[in-house]
Amino acid sequence: MIIRRISHYLCRYEHIVPLFAAACAVLFMASVLALPVTYHEDQLYPKAIDRQSPLDPYDRGGPPFTQVSIHAQYPENSPTAGLVTSYLTPFSLFLADTTLHLGTTIVAHPGGIIDEILYNTRGLDTVVETTILLVAFAIASFLYRKVR
Amino acid sequence: MGSLGGIPLYVLEFGDELVYFSPYTITLFLLALTFTLLAIVSRPERQVDVAFGGDAYTTKIISVDEMRFRRFMAIACGLASMGAMVTGDVFNFTLFTAMVGITNVGIVAAVKSPHVQDAAYQYGLVALSATVPLFGAAALYAAATGSLSMIELAKGTLPAVPLVAKALLVIGVVGEGMAPFYAAKAEMFRAPGAPYVIMCSLSSLLIFLRVAEVVMIG
Repeated sequence: MIIRRISHYLCRYEHIVPLFAAACAVLFMASVLALPVTYHEDQLYPKAIDRQSPLDPYDRGGPPFTQVSIHAQYPENSPTAGLVTSYLTPFSLFLADTTLHLGTTIVAHPGGIIDEILYNTRGLDTVVETTILLVAFAIASFLYRKVR
Repeated sequence: MGSLGGIPLYVLEFGDELVYFSPYTITLFLLALTFTLLAIVSRPERQVDVAFGGDAYTTKIISVDEMRFRRFMAIACGLASMGAMVTGDVFNFTLFTAMVGITNVGIVAAVKSPHVQDAAYQYGLVALSATVPLFGAAALYAAATGSLSMIELAKGTLPAVPLVAKALLVIGVVGEGMAPFYAAKAEMFRAPGAPYVIMCSLSSLLIFLRVAEVVMIG
């Protein structure tokens, strides 16, 4: 009988969102109670942040065309990791030279999102992320054209 | 490496992200591949509504545009499922899962029926909000163990994955289209076009099977 009631409640799709939200809320509260989670110090891709750099927080460090050492999980799979530390267009270079605020706009031009760490060691992630965006735009444009 | 669901027979390297084919992941991969091929070659069904008490019946016609779009989404869903089945990286798995969720929304959102689109909208909200626990879990995996590679986690040399990270991962996958939400999917199943709608169901099932393996690692 109770199963019938539950399935009767679930059969209305309007109930799914509040139910999922409640489940998430309960789990998030349990997560807060489960704190602290021990932070493992030996991390992949450690990053030193230099607040004075105009590329902060995306400054990978190192002069151009020399290899910066990157702590990768499988270094033998990424022999070129750390060779390229920035991709700046002439305009970005001008901004970086004259202001301290390029780091906030770095996602707006190539070299921000697809940064070299992603590109060399976690390239598949970058491909899937952009594919998700492509699919989302495809759905949005299809629906938009259908409505018109 | 017993917890990986078998010894990897072949490992494909994408930098730090390893794709491994163990007996378990090969089986799931082949299932996803078979259904993707079926979605490519098959034509959509035509639903027939029969009126009770008479001879009247109507056939729902699917426009070519809609069919093409839904086939594209079904293929994308199949590819995402295949990726999620064989990837050996936790963050990569969450990305593929998010992609399966959004393609499932796309498959049903293309249908010209307000009722189906309502269901797709509600499901889209769930899929959207499920990305928070999903990616939060991946972040917790990285913070607590320092690694995202399932092969490294399965070795047992890294710190144990916190239970809360596993729970967040599971609820994230649930939100992206899993068993308790089949009730909502039943509404979506009123959408005509059999092979594409079945793809939603199959991808959810496959991801459920894979996340069972992922949470047992580490």
